[in-house]
Amino acid sequence: MSYLLLAPELVLISVSILVLLLGLFIKEKKILGYVSIAALLVALLLVLGSFNVRESFVGYPFYSAVVVDSFAQFFNILFLTVALLVCIASLEYYGNNPSQDEYYFLVFIATTGMMLVAIANDLIVLFIGFELASLSTYALAGFDKNSKFGAEGAMKYFIFGGLSSAVLLFGISLAYGISGTVNILEMKEFLAAHAARFESIAILAMLLILAGFGFKMALVPFHMWAPDTYEGSPSVISALLAAGSKKMGFVAAFRVFLLALIAVKLQWYLAFAILAVITMTLGNVLAIMQNSVKRMLAYSSIAHAGYIAIAFAVIAYSSNAAQTALAGAAMHALSHALATASAFIAVAAVGLIYPKNDILENYDGLGKTAPTTALLMTVMLLSLAGIPPTFGFYTKFVLFLSAIQAELIGLAIIAVLNSALSVYYYARVIMRMYWGKPKTEKVKESPAYVTAMIIAVVITVILGLYPNPISEWAYGAAEAVLR
Amino acid sequence: MTISLMLAILLLGSIAAFLSRTREQARTAAVVSSWTALIISIFMFLNYEPSKGLNNFREFYSWIPSIGISYHVGVDGVSLPMVLLTAIISALCTIYAWEEKRRSNQFFALILVMDFSLTGVFVSLDFFLFYIFWELVLIPMFFIIGIWGGPRKDYSAIKFLIYTHVASVVMLLGIFAMYYFHGKTTGAYTFDIPVLLSAYQTLPLAPLWREFIFAALLFGFLVKMPAVPFHTWLPDAHVEAPTVGSILLAGVLLKMGGYGLFRFLIPMIPNASHLFIYAIALFGLVSILYTPVAAFTQPDIKKLIAFSSIGHMGFISLGVAAFMASGEEVPRIFAASGAMFQLFAHGIITSVLFGSAGIIEHHTGTRIIQNLGGLAKKMPKFAFLIILGFLASMGFPGMAGFVAEFSVLAGSYPQLPYIIIIALLSIPLSIGYHLWAIQRAVFGAYNERLGSVTDVTWYEFAAMAAWVLLIITLGLHPAPLFEMMRSSAVQFINILPPGGIAP
Repeated sequence: MSYLLLAPELVLISVSILVLLLGLFIKEKKILGYVSIAALLVALLLVLGSFNVRESFVGYPFYSAVVVDSFAQFFNILFLTVALLVCIASLEYYGNNPSQDEYYFLVFIATTGMMLVAIANDLIVLFIGFELASLSTYALAGFDKNSKFGAEGAMKYFIFGGLSSAVLLFGISLAYGISGTVNILEMKEFLAAHAARFESIAILAMLLILAGFGFKMALVPFHMWAPDTYEGSPSVISALLAAGSKKMGFVAAFRVFLLALIAVKLQWYLAFAILAVITMTLGNVLAIMQNSVKRMLAYSSIAHAGYIAIAFAVIAYSSNAAQTALAGAAMHALSHALATASAFIAVAAVGLIYPKNDILENYDGLGKTAPTTALLMTVMLLSLAGIPPTFGFYTKFVLFLSAIQAELIGLAIIAVLNSALSVYYYARVIMRMYWGKPKTEKVKESPAYVTAMIIAVVITVILGLYPNPISEWAYGAAEAVLR
Repeated sequence: MTISLMLAILLLGSIAAFLSRTREQARTAAVVSSWTALIISIFMFLNYEPSKGLNNFREFYSWIPSIGISYHVGVDGVSLPMVLLTAIISALCTIYAWEEKRRSNQFFALILVMDFSLTGVFVSLDFFLFYIFWELVLIPMFFIIGIWGGPRKDYSAIKFLIYTHVASVVMLLGIFAMYYFHGKTTGAYTFDIPVLLSAYQTLPLAPLWREFIFAALLFGFLVKMPAVPFHTWLPDAHVEAPTVGSILLAGVLLKMGGYGLFRFLIPMIPNASHLFIYAIALFGLVSILYTPVAAFTQPDIKKLIAFSSIGHMGFISLGVAAFMASGEEVPRIFAASGAMFQLFAHGIITSVLFGSAGIIEHHTGTRIIQNLGGLAKKMPKFAFLIILGFLASMGFPGMAGFVAEFSVLAGSYPQLPYIIIIALLSIPLSIGYHLWAIQRAVFGAYNERLGSVTDVTWYEFAAMAAWVLLIITLGLHPAPLFEMMRSSAVQFINILPPGGIAP
């Protein structure tokens, strides 16, 4: 019965094909959106129903190529929730688009790819999942074919992404060359036993793999594509990229990199700490300078990638703080995904009022013109800023706590000061919304956008007030990976 | 359940006010819930048992057991007067803001959110809970300054938010370190405040970490109080904030810093570097001396009042330092009780002062002292109130401020003689700027350019008179409140080594 654990992926794949086929026959294509939402809900329930599992699928037919454990399930929930929010918002954004069938197909394939990465225990499976998600998001980023910015963003994303795939594949081939296996756990055991013999090649392989994942995670210096792509893409796709695709990079990095790192026992914590510090600082400083909300959110997610990268430094440095760090990182990935996805959806909602939906001036007086959107966006920005009692506060709390637990006080100080700095640019949007002069009368807000945002806000606030269950899940999941 | 009930009423009241359609509905929600909270806090005050200490009205529920967080609240002789102060000031603020015209439902809702989160700060006995309330206070104040503020509100609101948020996150790191080292040593990871504070004294810590923890918390509190040189956010915030915002800011929000010194730093000092005692005393001294110098040069009466707050808060640092320093028990307890009393007294006095500044601005259209003059002729009721407020602020005997500052100075002198002698220099200066300001604004010939001004409205008068009455009552009969504080000071002194801490 353990194959049931793969049912969510199978549901997504079959429904994606179904959607494509249905699109050929039905006229009222908006129905496809509802079909997709229903399918995502089913998949989400299937994952939630089997949270605390560990199934390695030894022997025929998978030969340990995938492993469904609580860590994978945690990220599967993240990916499915993000896809759900994106699909609900798309009911409005692409409600009248004639190629909706292709759109939902691509979103589903991208989500399946991300989920494959989360359950991969084999570098080939991982790479396939990575490419599945990448290829479909390249197409999605340029889905508004008439938009010049969209084309530019998609092109940049494609070129950088293609390069990163090549680099990643080269790293994987080197790792395979050393160890003779593509199975991650076997590779870990091999490296632990023979690290000394292959040290230089192992370092090279790891650097290349890190670069490959780094592009997806948008860690500095692999972040250049992110602001242009997020700005140019349709807002709902920016949500998918920032909330879903980016977290795929993290789950892959945690799966592969940390295990190998622990095995090789490289004392690389300093390199990781510097990487985290540069990423968060650059992201925050550049975010302050932006006049476009979408670019601001792009740089803010670079900064958040920096916060999550603290976990790498902590795990590399101290084994007794590793569990807290990994749990904090996983939870922060979730809180950032929820918040940034709904912030991008809010940008899409502003697009209904003004054609140029990302200029900061157009948020003036949004508290009057679109009060629900403004209120929901405010909660999400506060969550991104880490102000209690939101989930974003709790996750930063755990993440920074892990830095103290590792006794990396300098890293912790820089991280909290960065977080304090970031309050500035989030608060600036809130200020515009609540004490800027409204430019138009009160408008009717789209139910689809509002529903998507309300779902995210309710989850964020409930988890912020009562984080115990998710916290226990995340700690358990972290233990499963580190063991 | 009493404390939770109070918090729940305030939260529900703020939601009701936010959702209401008219000003009358919002005001009713605000008045009913804030006055109910006041009644509950008076009930708590009357039923307080000094011998039980923090066990008064204690509640403990597990909340996030996976990392040792609980919902733990309770009050003692330090926090209960603060809860009462919050309730009094918020309740009177709802009266003072009776006819708020702009976005009145949001305004009343934010007052209640402030009331809720400030009360939460003072009752929390779990660091996580405490920090949530501590940060939550910033959000309504940010909106109050930003939406109802003056011309430079954008700058002031964001400066207030970032400056105090930086201090909070630094404090949070100190909390993390305490949590981690306690868990590492004992195996029990918890954010419980009483447990961590008592454990801090015996934790085997590296010197760097020991001093870091203390300094991080101290920094968080000094910025909030604020102590010179971390005070620069305060005058800006006050100048731009609406009157009720200023009252809540100076009356209660600053008290969070002073409260923090008592709740956290006094139990921690035995294990920290003893130089911190002198650091705290010096921060207090500098604030006391700097204030009159800055206040003399202010053309804006509200900014002058804002600076006066900084000086008054300096007495609290001074009293805390004198309590920690080595000396006889009696004067140390006296100093500490005086400092606690100052927390309460200054909250009430500053409400009158900022209330007066608000009335001046509202009725004459300006706050610049030079453009005022002779207000007593046109606004006799107002003149009566503002004079009493200014007298209380300069420490006139028979009023609450005198009791507090006299106790601090008298109780601190044996431990810190030189510092107190220097601090005394500020008293004539302080009297000077108070009198000079009031002489120019209220007395003399009426400035005809102001046109015709009206005297205070009934709701302004009611709120201000209530505060003034409290000042005089506490000045003449401080015993009930003072005794409660003294009982807490006695409990604190047993935490410290006998005879205090020698340098």
